[in-house]
Amino acid sequence: MKHWWWKFLAIALLLVASIAGLRVPLSPALVHVSPSRISPGEVNIEVTGYNTRFSEGMRAYLENEGQYVCPVRVEVIDATHARITAVVPAGLRASMTDLVVQGLKYPGAFFTEGLGDGIESGPCGPSTNKLDMSGLAFTFPNRSILYESIRNLHFHVPMWFTMIALMGISVWRSIQVLGNNSLDRDRQARSAVHVGLLFCALGLTTGAVWARATWGAFWTNDVKLNGAAVTALIYLAYLVLRGSIPDAHKRARLAAIYNIFAFVLLVMFLFVVPRLNAIDSLHPGNGGNSGFNDLDLDNRLRVIFYPAVAGWILLGIWLYDLRHRSLRINEHLDR
Amino acid sequence: MRTAFTLALLILHILPAAAQAPTWLEDQLYGGGKLNAVIAVVSIILLGIGIWLWAQDRRLKRMEKAIEKKTM
Repeated sequence: MKHWWWKFLAIALLLVASIAGLRVPLSPALVHVSPSRISPGEVNIEVTGYNTRFSEGMRAYLENEGQYVCPVRVEVIDATHARITAVVPAGLRASMTDLVVQGLKYPGAFFTEGLGDGIESGPCGPSTNKLDMSGLAFTFPNRSILYESIRNLHFHVPMWFTMIALMGISVWRSIQVLGNNSLDRDRQARSAVHVGLLFCALGLTTGAVWARATWGAFWTNDVKLNGAAVTALIYLAYLVLRGSIPDAHKRARLAAIYNIFAFVLLVMFLFVVPRLNAIDSLHPGNGGNSGFNDLDLDNRLRVIFYPAVAGWILLGIWLYDLRHRSLRINEHLDR
Repeated sequence: MRTAFTLALLILHILPAAAQAPTWLEDQLYGGGKLNAVIAVVSIILLGIGIWLWAQDRRLKRMEKAIEKKTM
């Protein structure tokens, strides 16, 4: 029990993070509003919600720079569909009007015509009811474009964290090789790169699928994508380099030196270059792009994300341990 | 020659249709509020780790055989 408690921890963390990552519902949001353009006069608005519970007598209004237009009629079709009829007055100030239904805002819902100096704001504005419990439910943020795929944060991103952790272990072992010429440390460095490349491959393929669903293509010219691909090639070259040197001690030393350079390049390609302000990146938190941490109530994601990362890193270390032990047995056999 | 021509004609007819119709994939990935993208990602991870374990299993089997040979 003493030495393998962390394997139980890995399984427990992965179970919790995976179940929660798949089961926690998305917070309700308005996903579609038509028409996209309003002009003075009566307008019929079709609203589609996601995970919403539209009900008779629900609060709905149009908001234009703090001025409210109240609906004439709100017709609930079902929990996620409603038809709102409103008479749009002439003289709204801003060219974009928001729609708010049940406290859920669809910003910039309508391009507005017939602008002027403002209107007499309707009496319907935001609810002042302090006993609104809807925000207390544990849900994931609902963002347009991402929608349910935001859950991939708990699966795709930990792959990269695990790869970086394994490459870190590998470079640490390599430094030790240079200090004491230990062939066992060299085996550990090699095993860590081997398993790290598995997670790199998983990160690349899962990233491609997620990119197809959100950015529209399996591969984009994003700096972080290309950086990750180059990193994968650098580490593949590490394995090729090892294969090309027959003498075990020479191989250990040369591979260790190469590994240190490889890790420096990994840090450059995955952390430094994508964060340069001159470069645009589609990845959150890179190149002037905001991270997921600006999402409302982002802690809802973090609560699941950190256990997921810890669990996947522990699983990666577990696989690395298996690989290292089997390599050691293999070399004993060859002797 | 004739088959090549027919093939070329067929491809020329199919290709534009294929270019316009990634809708099948889009439907698959975008289905259920893009939930299918998550299912695809989880499946890829499980498959990848499964393949790795399979390869590791074969390595162990090779070693077991080597041990058998040595002890015999």
